Amino acid sequence: MKYSITIGWLYPELMSTYGDRGNILVLQKRCEWRGITCTIVPIDFQSKEEDIAKMDMIFGGGAQDRQQGILIDDLRKRKGPVLKKLLERNIPGLFVCGSPQLLGSFYMTGDGKKLEGLGLFDMESRHFGNGKPRCIGNMLIRIPNTFEIPGLRFLDTVVGFENHGGRTYLGTGLTPFGTVLVGNGNNGEDTTEGARYKNWIATYSHGPLLAKNPHIADWLISKTLEVKYKKKIKLQELDDVLMWQAHDAMLKKLYVTKE
Amino acid sequence: MHLMKQLRYTIACLSGLSASFLSRFLKLGAGATWPGEIALRMYPQILATLSKRIRKGIIIIAGTNGKTTTSGMTSAILRHAGYSVLHNTSGANLLNGIISSFFVSWRLVDFAVFEVDENAFAKILPFIHPKAIVLLNLFRDQLDRYGEVDTIAAFWRSSLQSFDDKTTILANGDDPTIAVMTEKLRSRVVYFGLEDPKYYLPKMQHATDSIYCPKCGTRLTFGGVYFSHLGKWACGACGFTHPDVLIQSSDYTSPLEGVYNIYDTLAAASVGEVLRIDKGEIQQALDQFTPAFGRMESIAYQGKTIRILLSKNPTGFNESLRTILASSQKGPIMLLLNDRIPDGTDVSWIWDVDFEQLTECAYPIIISGDRVYDMAVRMAYIEKKKKQLPLQVVENLSSAIVAATEAAKENETIWILATYSAMLDVRKIITGKKIL
Repeated sequence: MKYSITIGWLYPELMSTYGDRGNILVLQKRCEWRGITCTIVPIDFQSKEEDIAKMDMIFGGGAQDRQQGILIDDLRKRKGPVLKKLLERNIPGLFVCGSPQLLGSFYMTGDGKKLEGLGLFDMESRHFGNGKPRCIGNMLIRIPNTFEIPGLRFLDTVVGFENHGGRTYLGTGLTPFGTVLVGNGNNGEDTTEGARYKNWIATYSHGPLLAKNPHIADWLISKTLEVKYKKKIKLQELDDVLMWQAHDAMLKKLYVTKE
Repeated sequence: MHLMKQLRYTIACLSGLSASFLSRFLKLGAGATWPGEIALRMYPQILATLSKRIRKGIIIIAGTNGKTTTSGMTSAILRHAGYSVLHNTSGANLLNGIISSFFVSWRLVDFAVFEVDENAFAKILPFIHPKAIVLLNLFRDQLDRYGEVDTIAAFWRSSLQSFDDKTTILANGDDPTIAVMTEKLRSRVVYFGLEDPKYYLPKMQHATDSIYCPKCGTRLTFGGVYFSHLGKWACGACGFTHPDVLIQSSDYTSPLEGVYNIYDTLAAASVGEVLRIDKGEIQQALDQFTPAFGRMESIAYQGKTIRILLSKNPTGFNESLRTILASSQKGPIMLLLNDRIPDGTDVSWIWDVDFEQLTECAYPIIISGDRVYDMAVRMAYIEKKKKQLPLQVVENLSSAIVAATEAAKENETIWILATYSAMLDVRKIITGKKIL
């Protein structure tokens, strides 16, 4: 059987700050190499709710302040309800960069302004003003083995790069994406990084998260197929020598700098 | 000047001059920044006083890409016209680097040409009254260091507002961010831009920063795009539109390949025009121009030709790729990615570069640098089929150069696309000399 998936990419022109599209390129290629048809659909101001409802996976990158200002109303009012339905239907999603701030209940800016989030994840974010340093740098986290796909290589580490001024605090019922080994993660205090709810991953890691983490890319593809075709579909193993070398190079680099 | 101030100024200058002399005499390196740093610590306003040593005027060159080439061309035009020129060393474009340039020699000069770092712009301008300020472009570049494009644009605009009609601003009209920040200034603003549809891209690149109206937030429409967000733009909603250009691409011939070098040429020529240098003289100076290191520089090496293109951000890299693919010189391609401070510690940006242009590349692609595997993964993901590309992943830079030299056939050119520190490293290996 020939499988196909459709990925909805939220505001690709506005929410694509620093290599975020790398995730789309990785997902697309890993599908193509396996003979799975992968269609990317930009979700923009003109997109209709009924079309967004047809997506098999959702991806959101990071936006700069002005760009976020342009789209935030449209996202909250015209995309929020359908995104919530997708989440409840177990449609997988990946949200990188500033997404923990966007998906949570609110974001308190440095000058005390409370910006409402999408309210899909039980978490809140605060910016403590420019007195508190930004969290910038390479990041290494440990993830639970719930992300393991039988038959494919699994490592319980994820490497990334974070660059955020705000801090995020998870509600009691919400699981983090992983535990921080190197870097700050959500807030630099409680070792949590990002969040996972149903099949959505939110992470502060910006840019091409999936490039050096092929196991997360395959988890998303595998979940997408499972939800769409209502059965477990075995993913063919790919030649990922370079991808794992890149992952290992970061493990080595970060452990060395830590010591 | 107050006596104490005068004394402090004199001591600061003497210290700067000695430091500069010592660093060159003892070949200590770093002479491009620390003499200025010492003088600055002793006398923080020193640039204001030093700038009076420039007889005819200071020219400031700012922008994400093209600063060094534009500064070089501008200096060449001024020198060709018979003026003496002072300029800062490429890369030494913060306050300390500019001050250091005064201490290389104590001669009075006619003009100073300073390339200025995006973030240092607002710190340097309050001390000087430039004759001309060139604004080339603003692209995303090292967000971990520079922050967002809009933040830089806001700083630039407020700096520009302090100048009057004694300063002429030469601005790239093809960049909407530059166009909006140069509106309603007291200074005279002269716009330059391309008028050449043959350079239009068939479709928009991914690495664009300013394709929404800087005034009202509506998506801009483009009659044509030269690269990134540079082109013939207009806003259909609020009517904000491309300014009329006074100097355009048909006026001058660029001495270097590459569309981005046409912008640099126009920017430098516009400085010449503002200073009333004859058009023919300007073109003559440009024709004799040789690029700075790593900017399309050509080096003979072991019987092969090596050309180095500094490629430090998505827009720069896209234009480097476009240039080598359009060039008649063909051969192996080296991609060198470092993540040191001058390169930016975050290498995510390589995913904004349209490397897919190389999918059909028949020449060997040799990858190296501190983040060799990040670049290797990026290249692996442009393949339609696995193992389609002739990729060579070589951790050690010297070995990578050997591999590239062996891979190049006779009469072929080795194209090296490198981030800043990788460019310096590779140049050192090839020429045996250290720079900076």
